[in-house]
Amino acid sequence: MLLRLTWLLLRKDLRVAARSREVFGFMLLFSLLCVVVFAFGFLREGEAAAEQVPGVLWVTLLFSGTVGVLRLFAAEEEGGTLQLVQRTLAGLHPLLLSKALLQLLFSGVTMLLLLPVVLVFFDAALTRPSLTLAALALGLVGQAMLGALVGALLVHVRLREVLLPLVLYPLLAPLLIAGVRLTVLAQADAPPEALQGWLLLMAGYDALLIAVAPWLHARVVEP
Amino acid sequence: MTRLAAAGVGWAIDGRFVLVDVDLALAPASITVLTGENGAGKSSLLDVLAGVRKPARGVVTLDGVALGDIDAAHLARRIARLDHAPGLYLELSALENVQLFRALLHADALLSDVTAWLTEVGLAARDHNRPVRGFSRGMLQRTGLARVLASGADVWLLDEPSTGLDRAGVELLTRVLQTARDRGATILLATHDPALLPLADRRLHLHLGHVVPPVEA
Repeated sequence: MLLRLTWLLLRKDLRVAARSREVFGFMLLFSLLCVVVFAFGFLREGEAAAEQVPGVLWVTLLFSGTVGVLRLFAAEEEGGTLQLVQRTLAGLHPLLLSKALLQLLFSGVTMLLLLPVVLVFFDAALTRPSLTLAALALGLVGQAMLGALVGALLVHVRLREVLLPLVLYPLLAPLLIAGVRLTVLAQADAPPEALQGWLLLMAGYDALLIAVAPWLHARVVEP
Repeated sequence: MTRLAAAGVGWAIDGRFVLVDVDLALAPASITVLTGENGAGKSSLLDVLAGVRKPARGVVTLDGVALGDIDAAHLARRIARLDHAPGLYLELSALENVQLFRALLHADALLSDVTAWLTEVGLAARDHNRPVRGFSRGMLQRTGLARVLASGADVWLLDEPSTGLDRAGVELLTRVLQTARDRGATILLATHDPALLPLADRRLHLHLGHVVPPVEA
């Protein structure tokens, strides 16, 4: 039941996104702008600063992810369907899960398109691509889950555009710090024991978010 | 026989009671029209009766069972709601909207049937596959009504359902409501529209959160 309802809602969100053509395009454009700004900001004596790649990558994904989170519930708000969908569902988990998957899909594709651009702009190469991609995937899973939760909780809040980063970023800090550290270590080709702790931290934080977010969402939103 | 009932229901917002000791009983195969001034609490009452808001006092029951004790999915299949805003995804077509809500409610739904409901509310075939963003207010309301029909619910809570409808639309709405009543539906209709008043088997008036004792139509 959970999977069927989640798929129905995700398919609807993908149709809406494909027809409105706004969210993914904005995320991609915004992330490209960020990379360009960072690239010029970190130029050192005319040379690109390759050591900045981990920070630039993660901060750009954080910012572009925020654009996606801000629009996660836009279709429901515009058409007045949020309450209707909430009371139609057997529990709210499918709604949260579908929004998290949508966010993960958009930010994942953004990441895959952005990564080569960052490497070109900073004249860098990935030393251990699989590890960097694994770290990015763990970070994006956590961002998607937390983003869907915070987006849902702030959906009726005035000034949510201002509040969202204030609430979201501190909660994402463990993932951001661990992700940057992991990417730095991967680029430095560090030994596995140096990476293990950060990987565990990210995986554990993701597991915590996946377990707690649906419960918290239901507690706050249900009548 | 009572299908949906409220007993001593109170609901407050920011410490102010919008609904005060509301008692009502809605029978199967009946249309009850709820009138009241702006801000009297009509929409809040519909929210409480639909289980969207939990009453601060009293209890709402469906077939004698408190709403809080009914499985959420079952409740959603039994009670349909139509508000001022028809509750549609603007980028989806009328067909996709109705199919989506029917599929959310009924796992075994035959989605091909949806076309019949869209036709029943007077939407031309050429409009079934058009995104509803381009619809007029009345067409949106008709699509919302098709969503209610497709839900298969036997309790309809409608808030100003004639909003945006032209005369033909109101006549069609009247026919749809009469047919639903004849099939056994329990309908509560909050409205200011005089054209819908003759539909009432029973009329209630809400004044400052109090239900005035029912007057037979």
